[in-house]
Amino acid sequence: METKQFIIIGVAIALVIAVAAPFLASGNPDGLESAFFSIYGAKPFMGDELDEDAAGAAEEQVIAATGNDFAYEALMPDYSIPGMDKAGEVLAVVIGTLLMLVLVFVIAKVSARPDN
Amino acid sequence: MHIPDAFIPLGQALVYWVIALVFIALALRWARRSMGEEKIPLVAVLAAGIFAIQALNIPIPWGTSGHMVGAALAAIVLGSPYAGVFVLTLVLLVQGVIFGDGGITVMGANIVNMGVVGGFVGYYGYTGIKSVIGNAYAAAFIAGWASLFVSAILCAVELAIAGTFPLDLGLTMMGTYHAVIGLIEGGITAVALYLIASARPDILEQPIGVTA
Repeated sequence: METKQFIIIGVAIALVIAVAAPFLASGNPDGLESAFFSIYGAKPFMGDELDEDAAGAAEEQVIAATGNDFAYEALMPDYSIPGMDKAGEVLAVVIGTLLMLVLVFVIAKVSARPDN
Repeated sequence: MHIPDAFIPLGQALVYWVIALVFIALALRWARRSMGEEKIPLVAVLAAGIFAIQALNIPIPWGTSGHMVGAALAAIVLGSPYAGVFVLTLVLLVQGVIFGDGGITVMGANIVNMGVVGGFVGYYGYTGIKSVIGNAYAAAFIAGWASLFVSAILCAVELAIAGTFPLDLGLTMMGTYHAVIGLIEGGITAVALYLIASARPDILEQPIGVTA
């Protein structure tokens, strides 16, 4: 396979995953969040039910404990575009994927010695 | 496994940033010396694919989910643990700054856990296991699994130092969940390596067959 073809197929696979992810991705808490909720009594370790009120309280409790109250409003919080629904999520992940492509290409280009 | 800002006190978060910066500097040195012209688009595509697949949370038992990290894959394909650091640093930067996934003050900890540990355990796990069992894909699976599991264990230790998780419960829960999520990491790492090796065996830093 030629390099150009390989790159095009690679980008196509990444974009297919990016478009599909918002529809297929599980909304369950990830491993770290799940451990956090379990430790703070908002979810059983090996159970499914998440107590939303206890989860909210846990987040406040942990900020008070660590004192790290740094807050930051991301442009596309949680891979979504404020005011848009599923289409916004698809757009967010697609934008992120294309941004990675360009950013990593530029950083790699700048970092690499030209005579490599 | 993206740690949010609130989980680690600022002073400790700064320490992880310093450790991360040392590895970022080494990763940039790796890129300067080893990244050939023909590899640059490959690294970019790999990073884009890793970003996309990180958005795909796969359900596991116990009302939980997990997704691939990808540092092991980057390190194996590009033939250096620093490739994992290089790619994951940029993935985590974009995730944190643009999407609010993973904290800003604690980004150093996330880079250490996923980029550094993922890259080193993935790369040396793969080369070591491959030299013993001889099968590259089985080695990639095990190394991918181990990279995720060790990242999670280190994360639990950091959160115990932070006072956020008790050590015993943190290790038990993080270990249990990520022992399962690691199967996702190992599986995708092995499949992606197979696809890349089938399409372009020449771009792999290390041949799939006999160890060089």
